[in-house]
Amino acid sequence: MSSDYPGTSLSEKEIQDGTVLSVQDKLLGNFAWDTGIAIGKYLAGFKDGVILGSYCTQCRKTVVPPRNVCEWCYRPMSEYIPLGDTGVVNTFSLCYVTWDVKRIKDPEVPAVIDLDGASPLHGIMHKLGDVQPDQVKIGMKVQAVWKPAAEREGAITDILYFKPIEE
Amino acid sequence: MTLLRRDPSAPQNWQGEMPIANRYTYGIAGERFFRAIQEEGRIMGTYCSNCDHTYVPAAAFCERCMNQLDEWVDVGTTGEVVTFTHLYINMDDSPKDKPETVAFIRLGDGGLIHRLVVDNPSNLTIGMQAEIVFKPLDERKGSILDIDYFQLISEEQN
Repeated sequence: MSSDYPGTSLSEKEIQDGTVLSVQDKLLGNFAWDTGIAIGKYLAGFKDGVILGSYCTQCRKTVVPPRNVCEWCYRPMSEYIPLGDTGVVNTFSLCYVTWDVKRIKDPEVPAVIDLDGASPLHGIMHKLGDVQPDQVKIGMKVQAVWKPAAEREGAITDILYFKPIEE
Repeated sequence: MTLLRRDPSAPQNWQGEMPIANRYTYGIAGERFFRAIQEEGRIMGTYCSNCDHTYVPAAAFCERCMNQLDEWVDVGTTGEVVTFTHLYINMDDSPKDKPETVAFIRLGDGGLIHRLVVDNPSNLTIGMQAEIVFKPLDERKGSILDIDYFQLISEEQN
């Protein structure tokens, strides 16, 4: 390995053949996260192919994902608002590494999409698809591509990705 | 209208699992400590002459004065029961058929936490002497489990 650095380096081989002692273990972190009132409704909306926001009459703001309390005035939100499944790319990233740190040639394109019907600069994070990475632009108009209705399960992944649409 | 009711048809919770794999290497002093257990059935500590303190398990550095420690001492295989607890429940929450005892046994100025086999748990008291029972040589792997358990050697036993 490397003698260029101080310390004692270890190689995979030394560990595999037992030259260096080690203990290995696997833990399974199972969790259940309570969706609460508003996010539960939001996830239920995906099943019907609808993206829901919530509206505060006092602040005249529509936020997405919906909350049941307004984060500006702390009043209860007034109602759920079905938003469009279209929007504008607020920001994006070209990601050449997967969540479990594997290199990939074709990048994933996570993006924040400001949804039509929500207040300005209110959007959700999702992926872009059907687009060349070098063609992605901030301000680009996009639309959700949904799973077939029968396969939806009330999850953010019921939207497969957002794809560019003509202005 | 306010949004105070759950939609009964909405997903109540989101379930997932996070796989967490880990690998621990013992380090320079730990490696030698566990090799001594595995190969010689001996518990080794390191002595800091500056602090007059014997670390068990062996440490490469003194955590009091930061001296590098290279004076290795055999601290024997018997020690005092410093504290203990009786376990009645398994990892999966099921009750144990027979309670197990886990104790901290003083060795040098440190010690080890391990299983302590006692015939009659209600007679166990702090201050009793316990000794290590090692696994057979060919079953040892250079792990803390190379120590099968501690057992009492004091006269008050039973």
